[in-house]
Amino acid sequence: MRVNNILTNINFELLSNESGLNHEVKSFFASDLLSHVMGNAAEGSTLITVLNNINVLGVASLLDMSCVIFSHGVKVNDEIISKSNELGIPILRTKLNTVSTILILDKIGS
Amino acid sequence: MENYCKEFKIQKNDIGNAGTVASLTKRELKRRGLTKDFVKTVTIGIYEAEINVVIHSYGGTCVVSIDDEFVNVTFKDNGPGIECIDSALTPGFSTASHYAIENGFGAGMGLPNIKSVSDEMELTSSKEGTTLHMKFNISGDSYES
Ligand SMILES: Nc1ncnc2c1ncn2[C@@H]1O[C@H](COP(=O)(O)OP(=O)(O)O)[C@@H](O)[C@H]1O
Ligand SMILES: [Mg+2]
Repeated sequence: MRVNNILTNINFELLSNESGLNHEVKSFFASDLLSHVMGNAAEGSTLITVLNNINVLGVASLLDMSCVIFSHGVKVNDEIISKSNELGIPILRTKLNTVSTILILDKIGS
Repeated sequence: MENYCKEFKIQKNDIGNAGTVASLTKRELKRRGLTKDFVKTVTIGIYEAEINVVIHSYGGTCVVSIDDEFVNVTFKDNGPGIECIDSALTPGFSTASHYAIENGFGAGMGLPNIKSVSDEMELTSSKEGTTLHMKFNISGDSYES
């Protein structure tokens, strides 16, 4: 699955620009604690989180993650969006909660 | 390959720049042809230690040196120190501030993560400051084939 494929589902909106939309989504990882993400998430994975701060992008970049999805419709400020554009790691948002997000992503992937 | 040595300054509460040491070191390790797994291991260790200096200390420095055998990383800060090192090393133990927690830190997994990813870790602390040294062994397998 690529980031593009996720965007075909109406529950997801793209917040960043178009760069990185062809990234392959190798797996998913959900957490709201950066140490857990840092210690456990795999390269190429897509992060699902409600943690809306700039460090999420820092960690995503250090781990070469494919995409970040903000769940629960959390606010995402401009600083985060411009960081995402700078790094070429796309960010998406959904109003769904984290569990529903994962269930839908699983459907999109199969 | 030539030896690499770089010193970084880390400011207290500068959460926006936290991760700079980790990301610049990551770039250098990749440039040297080290494997993704090796690079990730070192990056995790440095990131956690860097965050700790940002959120728990009055600020400090970090020295990263890389030769053909080892990656050596030393973080030194200006206090207030760790009251009990044994507790600090316990998974889940954290005294993180509300500010740090809001920013996604404070899971109490930093020091345990550092211990598990590094080949050697040395932590000393007094009121004047904390010094954390970590060492990663480079072997033939650490290089991309
Ligand atoms: N550089 C430091 N200066 C002072 N205290 C520290 C430092 N690093 C770690 N600590 C203490 O050790 C505890 C555990 O650290 P860590 O395992 O990284 O968890 P966390 O950072 O999530 O709290 C911290 O909550 C803090 O009390
Ligand atoms: Mg920590």
